[in-house]
Amino acid sequence: MPARTNAMTERQRIEALLKRETPDRVPLWPFVPNGFAVLYNGLTIADAYSNPEGLYDSLKRAARDFGWVFYPVMVYAAYGAWEFGGEARMPTGRYDQAPVVTRHPLEKDEDIYNLKWPGPDSGLNPTMRRFSELSMREDLDNKPFRATISAGVAYGLACQVAGLNRILKWLIRRPDLAHELIRRLSEWSIARLEGQVEALGNERLIGTCGGPMGSNQLISSKQFEEFALPDIKEGQARLRALGVKHTYVHICGEQNDNLPFWAQVDFGDPGIIGVGHEVGLERAAEFFSNHIILGNLNPAIIQTGSPSEVYEMTKRCVETGKKLGGRYVFSPGCDLPPRAPVENVRMMCKALEDHGWY
Amino acid sequence: MATEERTEELVGELYQAVITMDDEGARRLSQAALDEGIDPYYALTQGLAKAMEKVGQLYADHLYFVPELLLCSDALYAGLDVLKPHIRTGQSDKAKQIIIGTVEGDIHDIGKNLVKIMFEAAGWVVHDLGKDVMLQRFVDEQLEIRADVIALSALMTTSMLAMPTAIEMIRARDPRVAIMVGGAPLTRDIALKYGAHGYARNAGEAVREAQEMLKRLNGSHI
Repeated sequence: MPARTNAMTERQRIEALLKRETPDRVPLWPFVPNGFAVLYNGLTIADAYSNPEGLYDSLKRAARDFGWVFYPVMVYAAYGAWEFGGEARMPTGRYDQAPVVTRHPLEKDEDIYNLKWPGPDSGLNPTMRRFSELSMREDLDNKPFRATISAGVAYGLACQVAGLNRILKWLIRRPDLAHELIRRLSEWSIARLEGQVEALGNERLIGTCGGPMGSNQLISSKQFEEFALPDIKEGQARLRALGVKHTYVHICGEQNDNLPFWAQVDFGDPGIIGVGHEVGLERAAEFFSNHIILGNLNPAIIQTGSPSEVYEMTKRCVETGKKLGGRYVFSPGCDLPPRAPVENVRMMCKALEDHGWY
Repeated sequence: MATEERTEELVGELYQAVITMDDEGARRLSQAALDEGIDPYYALTQGLAKAMEKVGQLYADHLYFVPELLLCSDALYAGLDVLKPHIRTGQSDKAKQIIIGTVEGDIHDIGKNLVKIMFEAAGWVVHDLGKDVMLQRFVDEQLEIRADVIALSALMTTSMLAMPTAIEMIRARDPRVAIMVGGAPLTRDIALKYGAHGYARNAGEAVREAQEMLKRLNGSHI
């Protein structure tokens, strides 16, 4: 919790930023700390994906103990593979981080035409739904949003449904199939938005978007523009039309060449633009001059650095962010590493407390 | 028997087939090379392998991306399938050997596969253990194969924690083998901290890094 008296809460800080006001201190929003939170709470990594009550309580406790934004999200990067008819196993190994896809739904090219939309009880959907219900029940001082809703993720879903190797080859060899699969997934994704907004209400609901599959470590910016961007634009436009005012986009990995395209999307007024450590905060701020910028301490440093290194790197990040005109949120560049040493996480928070005040 | 001029023409076309992701062309040209009496080892090293070296460079320069790499490697393998059975034993006897795998807890193998392709194209004998490889398996394979290099891959901050343990286990049984690591969360600093001898930022740099690592280590304990 903030050491200063009369300090704003993390929720007030985010709400100030959304009103385009400068908060008293840079907020700390650890992106997705789910794995870290369950381990910190004495549970297992698998609980982050199978135990909604345990995850919710763990996130709440971690947010309270470390004084950061409580962002209630249950998510996994491989979402789609299991839900669309593939198979996955829970992360039970000593080095596992998330559910592991063991079979993708598409095994042959022609399977694309038989792809069924997932039912409400497929894959992780029931667990995620239960998590949303828990999250909708209470409003906390450090919880600016009640639930999340993803849109504009059809290309990422296509990677999970078809398998990465297959879809990447299609981008060149069979762009017709790639477009067809993405179109079908986009239709599903957009159709589901209305039901979700109806169930959750659009008040204090935050849109989400992004992921690593569009990164320039995998595809070119031209491929990103052709295959990923149209659905991102459409999904986000639909969210705005449904009254969801803001989106938190996670521009994951090395996406410097994609920034001009991301900048064409309506992420809300303002959107919250999270970038990985591979993208400079100042560069992100140039492309998103009217949005909140979030980032971008290298998670590997939090995992492997010494406490003093974590402190120093956080300080450096915060000092850069504070120069962005009071529209900055500190965060790791990606998930908070589940097995990050607690002392390192404390030092990250301490650096912000020492250097984050405006 | 092809003339020198015809040989260079065919090998040049083979090189182009790989770079332009033309797997059918690579297969056809490899067969043509055999039919016209061109040394298959020459066609492999000067056509296919050189092309993949160029592809690695194009990737490192951000002119090619993973889709292009995957298709170039399809062309490489199409040519290799034709040429390899005809390469006389002894021509590649001195080939270096590498054991490669994605560590336990990690099923991301696209980066590892690209590195594997680059080593194969460069003439190394690659022992690919796959993904989610139990750490003891790296040790067991090394005791059997006695490879020059072991390459460990990880894409997540949890699975990269397996690397220092794996390195320690391998070293305890074979202190002479060179170990390199790679994957998105890794950096050269982390690699050193984990006790690795080498680190490659991407597939395009991996072979060069391995060669330099071996050169460095040959001057010291290896």
